Amino acid sequence: MIEYKDKDYEVIVIGGGHAGIEAALAAARLGKETAMFVMNLDSVANMPCNPSIGGTSKGHLVREIDALGGQMGISADTCFIQSKMLNVSKGPAVHSLRAQIDRKKYNMYMKNVLENQEHLDVIQSEVIEIIADNKQITGVKTKTGAIFGTKTVVVATGTYLKGKVIIGEVSYESGPDGVFPANELSNSLINLGIELRRFKTGTPARINIKTLDLSKMEVQKGDSEVTPFSFSNEDNEELQKVEQIDCYLTYTNEDTHKEIMDNIDRSPLFNGSIESVGPRYCPSIEDKVMRFRDKERHQIFIEPMGKDTGEMYIQGMSSSLPEEIQKKLYKTVEGMEDCRFMRSAYAIEYDAIDSTNLTLGLKYKDYTGLYFAGQINGSSGYEEAAAQGLIAGINAARSLENLPEFTLDRSEAYIGVLIDDLVTKGTNEPYRMMTSRAEYRLMLRQDNADLRLTEKGYDIGLISEERFSKYLAKKESIKNELERIKTVKVKADDKTNDILRANGSQEITRGTNLNELLKRTELSYEILAPLDEERPELSKAVKEQVDIQIKYEGYIKLQQEQINRFKKLEEKKIPEDLEYNKISGLSLEARQKLTKQQPINVGQASRISGVSPADISVLLIAITQFLKSNKKG
Amino acid sequence: MSTDTIVAISTGGTNSGINIIRISGEEAKVIISKIFNNSEKLSHQKIIYGKIIDPETTETLDEVLVSCFVAPNSYTGEDVFEINTHGGRRVTLDVLNLVIKNGARIAEAGEFSKRAFLNGKMDLSKAEAVIDLINSKTKVQKQIAVNQLEGGLSEKVKNIRNALIELIAQIEVNIDYPEYDYEELSKNALKLILERQKDNIYALIRSRDEGKFIKDGIDLAIVGGTNSGKSSLLNQLANEERAIVTDIEGTTRDIIEESLVIGNLLVNVSDTAGIRETEDIVESIGIKKSLEIIEKVDLIIYMIDSTKGIKEKDEEIINEIIEKKIPVIICVNKIDISREMVLSIIENLPKDALKVGISAKTGEGIEKLKNAIQDKFDTTAFDNKQDKIIVNERHKSNLEIALQHLNKAIECVEREESIDISAIEISETISELGKITGEITSEDIVNKIFEKFCLGK
Repeated sequence: MIEYKDKDYEVIVIGGGHAGIEAALAAARLGKETAMFVMNLDSVANMPCNPSIGGTSKGHLVREIDALGGQMGISADTCFIQSKMLNVSKGPAVHSLRAQIDRKKYNMYMKNVLENQEHLDVIQSEVIEIIADNKQITGVKTKTGAIFGTKTVVVATGTYLKGKVIIGEVSYESGPDGVFPANELSNSLINLGIELRRFKTGTPARINIKTLDLSKMEVQKGDSEVTPFSFSNEDNEELQKVEQIDCYLTYTNEDTHKEIMDNIDRSPLFNGSIESVGPRYCPSIEDKVMRFRDKERHQIFIEPMGKDTGEMYIQGMSSSLPEEIQKKLYKTVEGMEDCRFMRSAYAIEYDAIDSTNLTLGLKYKDYTGLYFAGQINGSSGYEEAAAQGLIAGINAARSLENLPEFTLDRSEAYIGVLIDDLVTKGTNEPYRMMTSRAEYRLMLRQDNADLRLTEKGYDIGLISEERFSKYLAKKESIKNELERIKTVKVKADDKTNDILRANGSQEITRGTNLNELLKRTELSYEILAPLDEERPELSKAVKEQVDIQIKYEGYIKLQQEQINRFKKLEEKKIPEDLEYNKISGLSLEARQKLTKQQPINVGQASRISGVSPADISVLLIAITQFLKSNKKG
Repeated sequence: MSTDTIVAISTGGTNSGINIIRISGEEAKVIISKIFNNSEKLSHQKIIYGKIIDPETTETLDEVLVSCFVAPNSYTGEDVFEINTHGGRRVTLDVLNLVIKNGARIAEAGEFSKRAFLNGKMDLSKAEAVIDLINSKTKVQKQIAVNQLEGGLSEKVKNIRNALIELIAQIEVNIDYPEYDYEELSKNALKLILERQKDNIYALIRSRDEGKFIKDGIDLAIVGGTNSGKSSLLNQLANEERAIVTDIEGTTRDIIEESLVIGNLLVNVSDTAGIRETEDIVESIGIKKSLEIIEKVDLIIYMIDSTKGIKEKDEEIINEIIEKKIPVIICVNKIDISREMVLSIIENLPKDALKVGISAKTGEGIEKLKNAIQDKFDTTAFDNKQDKIIVNERHKSNLEIALQHLNKAIECVEREESIDISAIEISETISELGKITGEITSEDIVNKIFEKFCLGK
């Protein structure tokens, strides 16, 4: 192959999935000349699995991405076909927004955003080599021989690296959704000394809606009042007008389970031909049936792939059984008796890196200018990928100006939890975000993501002046209303007690302040409106904040104290030249892990598996001694 | 790490025939080679016979056995030597001083265990159990310390913690997978489970309060009028067996005169009662003040001088004590002078008070008094209770914090607060319990969710 020198960029992003897009947009929006390489332009922002964005904890991620100036929230708001706030009965910390997305529209919309982005070139070409000189990235080479210079590369290859699709006994090299896999880049990474491992995931079949009997299924509707992902859409009335499309629910049954049991020896998961690690939260239907034998039925959700297509996604029926069995299996389900496949279910294996080799800013520790984001880091999910892409893109851009890495900790954002989990603890299966992974979830709510992160996004340079001043006004308005409501007196009269009684709340015998009543679980800001005549005109978002912040004041304070305790260890920096091998009290395992991972502070060290509380005591003593002796010396 | 060399007498007291002096640290080997004539024969896990010789005076102090443990395969993870002396108290102290003179320093209480812990030789809860073992003063105490060392407490705490993790996994699965048809726990079911675990934590804390008498001993005040025989009684009680408290005499507080072993019971003659400082607290500081003091103790021995009869003040105080339900034994003294007098006084004392006639001078009735004290704190029962768990101060505070969170969780459930709020309190309970067993929470819950529930696309 004849090579030729092509253009120089400041940031090159490999991959045009959810991670690659955020990385490329962030870098370009920060003014860096950026190129994004994709295997196929028609697969930009593809959703090769479920056609939805958000969900529990993932919805939080999208809102955080949005608050920092990322793209996913705005695009989801533009392309949704059903919107639903989950967990509304369970309290604000776990409210989670999820939207069904028109997949094709999302692809086109994102492609358009990318095309129109200043400082960004989108190029369809397979990158086969990352070029480095003495641990500094210098460029990339494409399959067609073009060499592009760059000082920073963000690798966001998703499931494309040495992708292998498995359907029963059949397997072939392929990326997701029939796109070519990227086979050569893996070798380039290995040549750079980067260790690779194999992860696995899977997706169910797609079925033509006209072959389903939807009347036998339960209808699942969206919310009548749509909540947008993006804070910039808070007052956007257009979203309320979007025509929503239904989803459906049906179940597996005894026949389904029997079909699986009878053919389990033909499953590559069970007969040993797939050895890579698959996620527990994303089990195939054969997995579920085998592991949970006493469960009589499993739920199946039928989700539309878009407004202009009859293709339906069959959530709950992911499988790597042979196609023949899959078809029989699906037909046992109520309402699916005559179903016809448009795409078969498959499992896919791909190369991933060990994420513990990354910094909290997603830079590969051994290289200058090399960043990783998304599924290659061992995560799963569009939102997890996008969140990492944003952070990697920001930091690639910042590194060019010698700015410190931008990182978020576990008390600041779900993004912080996600990256800390990946980088500090590492993962042995594709990692999915869950609210139960966040220690401080009462603070990390989806409703206050803007209050938590907009200022950071502004400081980075991804939040426009206009949006920032809008944010400041909102913040001010919340503050004023919180203060005002604490001064509103409520009399213990009939008017008050009528309202209290009507809402199942205990009557009052003495006058009180409005905020005291608002603390009661059964009351809300809206319900108390008649007792608050001077109430100013406020946006829904502001009212929501006032309601939550007063109602949960005590718990928010408690959680803040927990965070303060957490921060103490996070703030204990570990000196870079501390030699773990010279600390005699450390266990051997701790010594090895700490040496390998080089945590930046004691808090991070304490979360590395194999580092015990005893090791942390020793480490704290060692750091104190180290600092003392350095001072003396 | 600082590795100065420490030394201590690691056997209970210096009065027994054989004592062990333990040396640990970087310099231990050098020190031994200076003072032990057969040191060249020492190797890991060998016991060598030889003489301790003062290198300055060339005087032989004792014939000893020395055992050797080479780092890191020793108790502390450092080089450790143990000198078994045979010459009794004086000689043991001489050898100890010789070791110190040659470069070691006296260990702080529990410092060997601390080093073992810091060197990764034991986990926190074990280390604390060992410290309790070192400090344990009576037979029962030792058994319980051993039990905790073997993980009795860990085991119990783990069971509570696991039950709560199961519970929270069930809550979390409904939060993280709201659309799956896993049944949500009803208010009552949730409350029931929480309250069951609350009882379990309670039981552990209570076991500490019961165990406290065994572990820390009971606080005793001897109260009574001037010259009623308080000091003589103390001497009688102390005569038989002086309490053995510390590693090295003179390096710790002077509890020795104040702690007695009575049967299986450790008795601390309470300093707060000021029996040594003030000859007669009742008269010098008044009834009110003395009652304030005696309210704080676990047992009062009230002395009455039978030759002087029951004074008004005696009556007043005794009535107060009984009213306040403070355990009391009334000792009517000087039975050696007049048995009749003693008996008539006993007749006139409140019926439900425990009374013993004694002679602090001759020792008559002292055995009876000791039995009465032991009966008051029926610790012999503990002899058979192998599963008795002693909870130390740190564990107790963890348990109490855990209990607070659990109570708040129950309140949340009762108030029908949203489940994510209750979950915070339950998670806090779990992580506080994890501080005792050294386990971290978040991953445990996630694992439990996937183990128990069938989820995913």
